[in-house]
Amino acid sequence: MSFDPKDPRLLRGAPVRQRILDDVAGYVAKRGNIGRLVSISIGDIPEVAVYIRNQARVAEAVHLPFEQENWPADITQDACKARLQAMNDDPGVLGVILQRPVPDHINVRSLQSAIHPLKDVEGMNPASIGNILYNDVALAPCTAAAAVELVRETGLTMEGLEVVVVGHSEIVGKPVAMMLMAEGATVTVCHHMTRSVAMHSRRADVVVVAVGKAHLIGADMIKPGAVVIDIGINQTDDGIVGDVDTGAVLDLAGWVTPVPGGVGPVTVAILMRNAIVAHQRQVAAGWLS
Amino acid sequence: MSAAVIDGKAFAASVRGQIANHVARLKGENGLTPGLAVILVGEDPASEVYVAAKHKQTVEVGMASFEHRLPADVPEADLFALIDQLNADPTVHGILCQFPVPDHLKERDVVARIDPAKDVDGLSVVNAGLLASGETGLVSCTPLGCLMLLRDQLGSMSGKEAVVIGRSNLFGKPMGQLLLQENCTVTIAHSRTADLADVCRRADILVAAVGRAEMVKGDWIKPGATVIDVGITRIPHPEKPGKTKLLGDVAYAEAVEVARAVTPVPGGVGPMTIACLLANTLTACCRAHGLEAPKGLTA
Repeated sequence: MSFDPKDPRLLRGAPVRQRILDDVAGYVAKRGNIGRLVSISIGDIPEVAVYIRNQARVAEAVHLPFEQENWPADITQDACKARLQAMNDDPGVLGVILQRPVPDHINVRSLQSAIHPLKDVEGMNPASIGNILYNDVALAPCTAAAAVELVRETGLTMEGLEVVVVGHSEIVGKPVAMMLMAEGATVTVCHHMTRSVAMHSRRADVVVVAVGKAHLIGADMIKPGAVVIDIGINQTDDGIVGDVDTGAVLDLAGWVTPVPGGVGPVTVAILMRNAIVAHQRQVAAGWLS
Repeated sequence: MSAAVIDGKAFAASVRGQIANHVARLKGENGLTPGLAVILVGEDPASEVYVAAKHKQTVEVGMASFEHRLPADVPEADLFALIDQLNADPTVHGILCQFPVPDHLKERDVVARIDPAKDVDGLSVVNAGLLASGETGLVSCTPLGCLMLLRDQLGSMSGKEAVVIGRSNLFGKPMGQLLLQENCTVTIAHSRTADLADVCRRADILVAAVGRAEMVKGDWIKPGATVIDVGITRIPHPEKPGKTKLLGDVAYAEAVEVARAVTPVPGGVGPMTIACLLANTLTACCRAHGLEAPKGLTA
């Protein structure tokens, strides 16, 4: 269903993104040279190039040096690890971004573990995920953190809030659940084996959807006044749509993030904020002065 | 209707029996003896009891048990030096530092010092992260014990509604992760939850871990649910002066009227914890030597 792009109930990412980026730019301006972000892509994958361009543009806007490395498609796992190790040891490298997907012969999880947690600006190292589980949520996977930031933007008190997360992926659903729980929400995680997602989503004050099914969530699945955070990005004949039927839900919900223009724009801002957190932690650990 | 009592004591004994068989096989076929090192700092009486129980059961399943006692005022550096030495020791596959430790030591730093591959308590951030990432790590013992009991009771848990009460790092959060891995729909409820009774009532699997005696009433339980009670509260014994009694988080007498199966306190989850510590030590030993870890003893 189509909707008025100016509807005030749309929870837009742009202002949140701008606020975060202003903070980051302020930090960089104050601290001067804090090292560079290194983006690594392996092989030639067209969709990765789009991400990298976007990240590079945003990094430039906040004056964070952004270096792009493209490793050959036939590089070995061990060679990747050795190169990451060198970056861990290089004080000029502030943070490392490992672009996905990678070629089939590369074990991406093992490489993510090889990035030192203090340089893990994507929040993908198991130690980073473990910290989130243990309520240290400052450096979280970017998409999950962006979703939480948008929930916060509503100004609702998190304590006691009923949250339903649809999708239990390792990089979005689970960390979102843990982060909102850390703030006092009662969180239920639903997924493909859940008997009735509607039974849960209908009682939720906040619904966060990250499954990758176009328009899975319709108006009959939402409680009036709820916050609906749509993380899905689905390519359809009508263009890019989210997991939520935004137009249908808009009449009922209190806030809905549009797709595109909701969570997406905040995600890359979080990446930059993570870089600042990484810098602060490297200083605290005595790596940098 | 009267619920089945989940006999954790008997089940833990059967788990230890399986472990003993695997240990005998490792010794015979691979010349390996799994080893568990326990560090005790200071002289906490309760810790003494736990450590003695762990030692006894470790030896009973045929594993090597190493005990290291350090004075209460041991400098952090000395404790870390011992952990480093155990990390490097190929005869030690599991390392556990008995908590609580004296105030000048930070539990989190102590756990972080232990090699994650030997962190048989499964408490390090790396193991917590591996669990949350759906990867191979070591899982905290009490949640692992509850998972084994649930698997034994229910077989597949896919699609079931699970509610965990309590969001502690030690139990609630890893338990929630394990139930998600089993494809349950999982709610983690806690002290800030608006209507706890209502949340509990939808659970096919209800796991209580808050430490408030008999908080979960019979009418909080969905008929036919499986109830796992992790809470332990010690109260003065109502009939025997000078004696104490243990109570769980669930009003047991009421729960048995409604549930399909319930763990008692004591004798339910409790005995599983050490059994799972041994299971983790066995698993760590197998992995350290590139052998497949035995099935059914890990998450």
